[in-house]
Amino acid sequence: MRASLFITCYNDTLYPETGQAVVRLLERLGVELGFNPAQTCCGQMHANTGFRAEAFSQAKRFVQLYRDTECVVIPSSSCVAMIRDQYAGLFDELGTEELQKEFAALLPRVYELSEFLVDKLNVEDVGAWFPHRVTYHASCHGLRSLHVGERPFRLLSKVRELVLIPLANLDRCCGFGGTFSVKNAEVSTAMLDAKLGDMLATKAEFCAALDNSCLMHLGGALHRRVESLRPVHLAEILASTEEHPYEATR
Amino acid sequence: MIPSSSRRAILDRIHGATRNDESRYEAVPRNYIHHGSFDADGRIHLMTERLREYGAEVMETSPVELPAVIVHQIQLSGRHHIVVPPGLPAEWLGSGVNWKLDMGLSHDEIEHCGGVTTAASGAIADSGTIVLHHGPHEGRRLITLLPDFHLCILRASQIVETLPEYFARFPEPPRLATYISGPSATADIEMTRIKGVHGPRFLSVIILRDDC
Amino acid sequence: MSAPVMDPRIAPPFPEAALPILQNTQLRKNVAHATDVIQAKRGRLVAEKADWQELRESAAAIRAHALANLGAYLEEFETKCTAAGGVVHWAADAAGAQNIILGILREEKANEVIKIKTMTSAEIQLNPALEAAGIRATETDLAELILQLGNDEPSHIVVPALHVNRKQVREIFAERMGLPQLSDDPEALTAAARSYLRRKFLSVPTAICGANFLITETGAVAIVESEGNGRMCLTLPRTLIALAGIEKVIPRFSDLEVLLQVLARSATGERMNPYTSLWSGVTPGDGPQRFHVVLLDNGRSQILAHKVERQTLQCIRCAACLNTCPVYRQTGGHAYGSPYAGPIGAILTPQLEHMKHAQSLPYASSLCAACYEVCPVKINIPEVLIDLRAKLVDQERAENKRWFDPMYIGMRAANFAFASASRFRVAQKLGQIGAGFFTDKDGWIRRLPSLGARWSLSRDLRGLPKQTFREWWAVRERGNKGAK
Repeated sequence: MRASLFITCYNDTLYPETGQAVVRLLERLGVELGFNPAQTCCGQMHANTGFRAEAFSQAKRFVQLYRDTECVVIPSSSCVAMIRDQYAGLFDELGTEELQKEFAALLPRVYELSEFLVDKLNVEDVGAWFPHRVTYHASCHGLRSLHVGERPFRLLSKVRELVLIPLANLDRCCGFGGTFSVKNAEVSTAMLDAKLGDMLATKAEFCAALDNSCLMHLGGALHRRVESLRPVHLAEILASTEEHPYEATR
Repeated sequence: MIPSSSRRAILDRIHGATRNDESRYEAVPRNYIHHGSFDADGRIHLMTERLREYGAEVMETSPVELPAVIVHQIQLSGRHHIVVPPGLPAEWLGSGVNWKLDMGLSHDEIEHCGGVTTAASGAIADSGTIVLHHGPHEGRRLITLLPDFHLCILRASQIVETLPEYFARFPEPPRLATYISGPSATADIEMTRIKGVHGPRFLSVIILRDDC
Repeated sequence: MSAPVMDPRIAPPFPEAALPILQNTQLRKNVAHATDVIQAKRGRLVAEKADWQELRESAAAIRAHALANLGAYLEEFETKCTAAGGVVHWAADAAGAQNIILGILREEKANEVIKIKTMTSAEIQLNPALEAAGIRATETDLAELILQLGNDEPSHIVVPALHVNRKQVREIFAERMGLPQLSDDPEALTAAARSYLRRKFLSVPTAICGANFLITETGAVAIVESEGNGRMCLTLPRTLIALAGIEKVIPRFSDLEVLLQVLARSATGERMNPYTSLWSGVTPGDGPQRFHVVLLDNGRSQILAHKVERQTLQCIRCAACLNTCPVYRQTGGHAYGSPYAGPIGAILTPQLEHMKHAQSLPYASSLCAACYEVCPVKINIPEVLIDLRAKLVDQERAENKRWFDPMYIGMRAANFAFASASRFRVAQKLGQIGAGFFTDKDGWIRRLPSLGARWSLSRDLRGLPKQTFREWWAVRERGNKGAK
């Protein structure tokens, strides 16, 4: 099984350890993983802030980069949602027929990480070990755009010695929302407070999610408040084994 | 602005905006539940349950017993002076009740009545809805609005299970209709549900088994 | 607290308007409680409805179809309503609607009107216009009455006074109704309102209402309510004026079989609301003998023309989107500076203002899509929000605004960097150097500059790692090649 990793611009720059975890995990599962160094960004930040022409140029670049790839794995549900929900519209408006065709052919080969594991590799037990209490937050794009549904739970339930504690209101937005977190910082913080209240009530050691964007926002506040609860990306849990246990750096 | 030029301007903009639209009414998907699955007894049972859920009193009776039951219910209610629409069957108006036939009663006169008795045009069991089309046996809308007590005689044959079934029965839409699915209610103060803001606070329904 | 500003032309931008509300714990508790209650009820009833998704599909299709044929349906409605004894007027904008209504009231020599809640009348700012003309308007919905007597504004579409608690209501009623002994028990308060309003219902000969649906087939109007004040206003007066947005038309009477099912469950979590009234024109001997419909455009026909935005007009005003929105949950309705709040308000208000006002509203969302999930007519609100953001940016670009806006500079710089891997690597290096200035010894950033300061308000940020993922990969690749 061959796959190409699209790390995402923000993981590349801010959370390389998540990418490293994806590599360790997928190679452990026998995937021949490639990385196209020409990649940069999927265009979501520009699209969601109203910079459509800019988003288009990035989207076009993505399609051209990966049009001949067997499949693309992306450890970020919001980026996959961008590709699935908005690329067609952008190409309809600003692209050529050829680009639209190339995209249509590529689209079924783009996977978010948990989708790739469960649907493409048909695996739920990835041989992981993570002896901690964990609560899981359902990132909005994964939940409502990708409909990942039970996949993350099925994967987490097979991780040895992991105790999964249900999170109240797990489907309520954490308040990040990209530039919303800055343009509406106070409201974003109020939503963040509510989410942290629910998380801290679980008394978990880690809060997990599919997206480092949510975790950056949640983790940033947890660090500010000196809380013991720490954020962790799903990939990092699944990559963790007795030989190479997860080491928290945030 | 002269009214007719507004009309023209608005319609011109609308036509401009929808110029290239092709949308047929028949193409609207309708894969929702149309027909219920209960039989007559089941429908009556469901209707009764729903009515009682929202505080209405419900009983069944046969055509023979109906006039006596009507009088009895009114006497139990402690209400005097009961408005009736002009088209209500005369045999339903038993003695022992002060009936006020609505042949143009004033608001004041209706205000002084304790209750009203009417028939209905339909009922939907799923939501416990009573339907009035305000024909001669239901009366003008006012008489089921001002009095505090409404006694409604519902024929079993009028009860359908689902909302689509009601509409299927009336391909000719009524000119007037009131759909009653509970006493008036508000949750405006601290989300505390209070019943009976305006309109009758007490509803009694007699289901007439005209289907036996 | 002074009355919140609900005129989008003068209301403060959303982030600013939200600030005082975020500090109002009582209000936020009330909002959370109210929305939780309705959402729970809605959830139960949706779960029991096996054909819920099919109903949504049909409801969306009926509304979309009506909009695609709006001109023909409106003309047919006009013909049928007129034949039934009604008078149909067309108002291009708010001023036009005000003039028509004032004209009718002058003809009637009316100095008082009773009103059923209609957001459309708030949209056209009818009450101030009536007041200026010396006509007293009494709101008859309990919540609207509370707000009117308390000189306040609605904070929710379906439960407008949810931000007011019982003690506050008691104070308002005691003073304005002259009932100093009144208790704060909701039953007593409601009884007081019932008496107060009954006198109005029986004496005021002119009423103004809105419309939930305009039924083309019969020229009928449908009003959906819970309290009964609607039925009072629709039957007791001599003259009735219905103000309705042009988008309210539905083709047939039987289309209500879908729309009533989804509306009741979505709005109040009931299988059916207590009272729904339907009437065509004038019926001799029953109800108002003079009936007017004022069809309001006020920007709707422009919205109709936009492919992505048209779905905004499918709205049936159930407020399910407000109840589920995590942003609205924190701010309530007042922060939106418009009669239309929450997710639907964020897309409708700026469009009604031709994108000239309420420009902060399309950004008042984290794009979580919870609204889209619950919308009974399947309005893809996030899709519209994103499209409106693009329109605003294009507008600003055309006006050469914001050359020095840090957001614009940042976006252009990022786009430049994303155009090639080599540029991106340079940008990453520059980012590391820049961030270094703000990184504390423990590797965390606590105070970012410029726009970043908004992040730092409540969140730390881990400093940029020295090695990016692509650098790590490149090293590994070289190592692997070396090993081979």
